Amino acid sequence: MTRYIIRRLLGLIPTLLGVTIVIFLLMRLIPGDPAVAMLGEHAAKDNVERIREQLGLNRPLFLDKEALEQGDVQGFFDSQYIRYLGRLMRGDLGASIHRRIPIANELKQRFPATAELAMCSMILAVIVGVPAGIISAARRNSIWDAISTISSLIGVSMPIFWLGLMLMMLFAVTWDWLPIGSRLDHSIELDNKTNFFIIDSILSGNWEALWDVFKHLFMPVVALATIPMAIIARMTRSSMLDVLQEDYVRTAHAKGLRERVVLLRHALKNAFLPIITIIGLQTGSLLAGAILTETIFAWPGIGKWVYDAILARDYPVVQGGTLLIALVFVAVNLLVDISYAFLDPRIQYE
Amino acid sequence: MTETTREQTILADLAVREHRSLWGDAWRRLISGNTSRIGIAIVVFFILTAVLAHFFWEYNPRIDLDYSLKLKPPNLQKTEEIPSIHPFGTDKLGRDIFRRVVHGGWNSLRVGLVAVGISLSIGGLFGLLAGFYESMPLGRTSRAVLSGLVGLGLGALSGWVAGQSFQAGLFCALGVATVVLDDVLADKPPLRMLLFGGVGLLLGGAPALLVSSATAAICAVCGLFIGAVVAFKLDGPLISTIIMRIMDIILVFPGILLAIAIVAMLGPGLDKGMIAIGVVGIPVYARLVRASVLSVIQEEYITAALSVGVGQGRILFRHILPNSLSPVIVQSTMGLAGAILSAAALGFLGLGAIPPEPEWGSILGDSYKYMTTGAWWAMLFPGLAIMLSVLVFNLLGDGLRDALDPKLRV
Repeated sequence: MTRYIIRRLLGLIPTLLGVTIVIFLLMRLIPGDPAVAMLGEHAAKDNVERIREQLGLNRPLFLDKEALEQGDVQGFFDSQYIRYLGRLMRGDLGASIHRRIPIANELKQRFPATAELAMCSMILAVIVGVPAGIISAARRNSIWDAISTISSLIGVSMPIFWLGLMLMMLFAVTWDWLPIGSRLDHSIELDNKTNFFIIDSILSGNWEALWDVFKHLFMPVVALATIPMAIIARMTRSSMLDVLQEDYVRTAHAKGLRERVVLLRHALKNAFLPIITIIGLQTGSLLAGAILTETIFAWPGIGKWVYDAILARDYPVVQGGTLLIALVFVAVNLLVDISYAFLDPRIQYE
Repeated sequence: MTETTREQTILADLAVREHRSLWGDAWRRLISGNTSRIGIAIVVFFILTAVLAHFFWEYNPRIDLDYSLKLKPPNLQKTEEIPSIHPFGTDKLGRDIFRRVVHGGWNSLRVGLVAVGISLSIGGLFGLLAGFYESMPLGRTSRAVLSGLVGLGLGALSGWVAGQSFQAGLFCALGVATVVLDDVLADKPPLRMLLFGGVGLLLGGAPALLVSSATAAICAVCGLFIGAVVAFKLDGPLISTIIMRIMDIILVFPGILLAIAIVAMLGPGLDKGMIAIGVVGIPVYARLVRASVLSVIQEEYITAALSVGVGQGRILFRHILPNSLSPVIVQSTMGLAGAILSAAALGFLGLGAIPPEPEWGSILGDSYKYMTTGAWWAMLFPGLAIMLSVLVFNLLGDGLRDALDPKLRV
């Protein structure tokens, strides 16, 4: 098991290196100069040049051939990409070009925002999706099955930006019940220890803040949870249907066990592997930045941050943010794979 | 009179029964279900309205503007105030939303179709190759070509560093030579790597000495590395691994983020959006096709074909490809739904169609900006169009899955 994990972790290195190259190249290929974007279009040439030098943008992308021709081997390797890799090895993600804030600091604010949103959405998706799938499978072809199947079909087809807009139209514009545009009302003071506002407000016993956090979370969470909820419900239904045909389920029924025990202890337990896979993969992609949801609700998370940075040619932010997103995604995938061995004793890694 | 037995009836039945192909059967199964019938009907309806509107209902978005009709709610009857009928209302510029949604369908559906076409053709080819070569040994000639190409590609780096492009040719030859000299030290891989690495060191370093000693040092290290790489037996599984590794890298990015970055690179526009969404979808199809090929390749008819000496290309395209199609067809239909959704998302973010060109996502993105005016109709109908079209393609995909392979159930 340990060997398997180590091998998987080693296998990640080339993938992540590839990710850094792809994102580095993509960003450099986007037309537009960050120095010009910073200073404005009418800035003096000298100033632009100075900023470019400060940011290291005057260096070649990968290798400097001119330096080598002058016999300067160190200069040959002194390129934008290798400098970036070197900083990365030392754990330095750099600073935002536009806002001059170190990326690591901003990540401490932004990642909890995204994680809080994603975890709440996932909890909602699981507590609605799994029971809906179980009921659907247990009462196959009943009216409940029809309702659950149709709503999950609508759910997987939902453009979440549209759902978000309609929620906003209803709850914020027409009825003015819920706030939009931040994580907490400005008038409420909260002691930020972890930057997870739910945890913070519980830790400090600030119930007014907790209520407000939930009010802010409600619409983005519903919008973000819709698709995973529908996917989980569909997966649970089909996986349960498979298992319910097994002989041991019939035996359990024949023994006269109560339906609930058969469904939950015998069937669900065995149907859970594909469900866990889907939950894991969906968590990964939610944590990886809910760009659309965050943009619509102006949620100060990773997704919106990276999106804004792409449009503003803020190279370090895009590089740092994307690398983090990729890391999270890969880590969750690995965890899902490892969890198989615990959930199903027949699966063994070597 | 002789009495016909049951067996005779069945035999007679078989004799007169019309020939039914595999696809014919699948089609019959598909249209036997109610849900897939609804799916097909609405898909056809959407496609027809989009195509007919594009060709027969003239619309010029550039001159469509009427401030006197600004933000009118939907009406189905002419009144004094609103002299024309707008079933979906009008937007901030007084444009009829119904008209824009119908015309937007042409753009939205087209983006979805082209994007899936791009992902399917490129991803499918990669998947086919990866799956095939994972379990098929390469012929000696193919291996020589492969090693030569690897040498050429890597050698280009050394050639670029030293400014001597002929170095790429030298390394290409070295690659071919490793295959020709297959038996040399074949049982002692480290020594073999050392031998070819040494040759590479000379090939890279010696010509570069003419430039400068620093260049020569770098080229020599480069050459050592290239020599060691081509000394490995470059075989089928390696191709497969390389292809799938590249796919993994694309897959690690969240789709919409990569699409945004690609559109930012290419510039806005509907065609750029198609490319972006298409590229993002490549690994999905590559993985699917590979998995499908890997399961087909173990079938007995492939072994049979191999043993009677059918060529690899013929096996790949005549035997494996047709038999691994059904999951691909299902995925493409559902992928179409996903691509329409992603296209709308890009349009919504202002990275798709260039205004005033109508496209569902960008119409929605437009109305988002004046949401506070309470014009719900400007958001409801374009969004409904997106949702419905995605829904029916998903429905169709479900139906196709059951029709093509009842065992496949997700």
